[in-house]
Amino acid sequence: MSASSSSAAAAAAAAESSARSLSRRNRRGAFFEVALSRTLASGSVGLGALYALGLAWLVARGAGKVLRFTSYATPIDPSIDGEARMRFFLALAVFGALAWGVAAGARTLVPRLPRTYARGFIAAVAFGGALLFRDHLPRFLIALPTETTAGGGVGPELFNTLYFAALSTAMTLPIGVGAAVYMARFARASALVSVLRTALDTLASLPSIVYGLFGFLVFVVQMRLGYSLFAGAFVLALLNLPLVVGTTEESLRAVPRDLEDASLALGATRSQTVLRVTLPYAWPGILSALVLSIGRVFAESAPLIMTAGTTISRATAFSLDPFRGGETLAVHLWYVNSAGLSPDRADVSAGTAAVLVVLVGLTNLLAARLAR
Amino acid sequence: MSPLSPTATATDGRQQQQQRRGAARGRPHARLHDAAVRAAAIACGVVVVCATGALGAFLARAGLRGVREVGIGALVAGETWKPEAGAFGGRALVLGTAATALGALLAGALPALLAAVWLVELAPRGLRRGYRRVMEMAAAVPSVVYGWLALVHLVPAMASLARALYGADAEVGGEGLAASTVLLSIMIAPTVMLLASDALARVPFAHREASAALGASRLQTAFRVTMPSAWRGLVVAVFFGFARAAGETMAVQMVIGGARRVPDNPFQPTTTISTQIVMDMQNAAPDTPASDALFSMALVLLVVSVAVVLFTRALGARARRGSA
Repeated sequence: MSASSSSAAAAAAAAESSARSLSRRNRRGAFFEVALSRTLASGSVGLGALYALGLAWLVARGAGKVLRFTSYATPIDPSIDGEARMRFFLALAVFGALAWGVAAGARTLVPRLPRTYARGFIAAVAFGGALLFRDHLPRFLIALPTETTAGGGVGPELFNTLYFAALSTAMTLPIGVGAAVYMARFARASALVSVLRTALDTLASLPSIVYGLFGFLVFVVQMRLGYSLFAGAFVLALLNLPLVVGTTEESLRAVPRDLEDASLALGATRSQTVLRVTLPYAWPGILSALVLSIGRVFAESAPLIMTAGTTISRATAFSLDPFRGGETLAVHLWYVNSAGLSPDRADVSAGTAAVLVVLVGLTNLLAARLAR
Repeated sequence: MSPLSPTATATDGRQQQQQRRGAARGRPHARLHDAAVRAAAIACGVVVVCATGALGAFLARAGLRGVREVGIGALVAGETWKPEAGAFGGRALVLGTAATALGALLAGALPALLAAVWLVELAPRGLRRGYRRVMEMAAAVPSVVYGWLALVHLVPAMASLARALYGADAEVGGEGLAASTVLLSIMIAPTVMLLASDALARVPFAHREASAALGASRLQTAFRVTMPSAWRGLVVAVFFGFARAAGETMAVQMVIGGARRVPDNPFQPTTTISTQIVMDMQNAAPDTPASDALFSMALVLLVVSVAVVLFTRALGARARRGSA
């Protein structure tokens, strides 16, 4: 791989120098050429810089809201189900991430630092922070949203967003991986395979609002469940199936034949081979597809408005019951700007957008790391 | 041919089966296990097919009822959309969707394609990875975030532009087709850029070497060799951008204004299919003409996007086979 790319680079350099010497013959052509490639380069760099600056601005604008730890303890309302649990795990994640950043920095400075020390440090800071500073987290991240007054937070929205990710992954993972295993390993050329491929192609092509209408028809109209997290998670799982099945099938097909042949030669059955050799080998690729699909769960709004609603009810704000309704961060951002009446909705929007961008950025980073 | 090859011929299949039986013979537990795992995998495939079928069936049932009640001609070209009065003319909706999606295609896909050419053919090697990372990030940012940014920054800018163009007293504002088109083009550009640069990178390096050996410069190679040989992939990239623009809901809803009429100019509020669905569905009681008509509009959106994407899939499959 590296040999071929370095030879390609050498060939590119050779091609470039030969092309340069040839085009030097025609000076007017060369001038035109240089002008055109400079325009192209500055335009493209400008486009990239626009997005990079926009992303940086988004995070910076909301950072004040998101990073404001409080010196006083925000009291826990005993009438809200699960608030203490939610705060503990959020603090665990926040302090764990901070400690991980510090540990990664320390390991680049002192490369010979033992890995166990770094892990111990992360665990100690995460649990210590979660136990001691659980009630000192930034108010924006733990408070309930407000409709008409300033100072609303996104605690339940953050919880719902992460809960949605867990629920829909719990549905996508077994079904998506099972379907991919079937297509890559068990299926002979049969009618079911071509029907399955057509179904996945169709699913991949649908606008997300159509998924929302489907979920609305089935769960809200037909089954009379009202708005529920379960309906939203089901719709999101369906939406992510084409991505997960496609990537999983690709990574299953990339497993070296020798490994499977060796397993079969040792007397393993085909299913044993698939479960103990093929799937573990392809696991990083599958995981990266799952992480990308979680990023899409964070970002999606239209189907959730139609299946999980746009409200937070106080008593069940942090409840683990999947048959209650509730909005996510993305839906909240839309709702605050189109129907909200709170005077500080610009700040609330900025904070929500910053949390969303950070979450999506983390999933992107993780997926790229896993795919490598 | 290896025994696990997915494209096994009939004889291979038989051999394969014998081999499997051989491995499991005399071990009923193993054979049972084998059958169970296989059945589970098949069940997963069946579940996916059934869910897709249910999705199509549910939407078609409600949508076709709406088509029968209103008529397809009135639904697509009728003048007024007023569910409370029983009038379901979707001309403004269809025109709004078509205008914003096509406008975004012109304004967003062209710069994205040029940036892809620059990235694959001309960019310094050290810059490529970072540029792709930024674009991947920009493509993954939630659409409501783009919508909020546009609501705060783009709409006021468009309002002053409109006043400069039409005079201070004209009936114009920031919300409308112009703002939506700019927003959508910013949203689809990263996606188109990433897909197009993938397509360009698939062109064999030998083509570029041959072109350079004939005396072409890098720019000539890019525009006369690489782009023509990757054209199918580029078309796929652009059409994916189109599909995303046509299906986009919340971001457009935030900046288009929501007036249910055909606008006189790009600075007056109007609506699109998906916007109208998400706004009206909250008020429409199920199984009334109002909700059926919305499902019919969703069916229109579904048919168009499935047609576009199946077409590009066919094109894309041939592109991958052609350059492999």
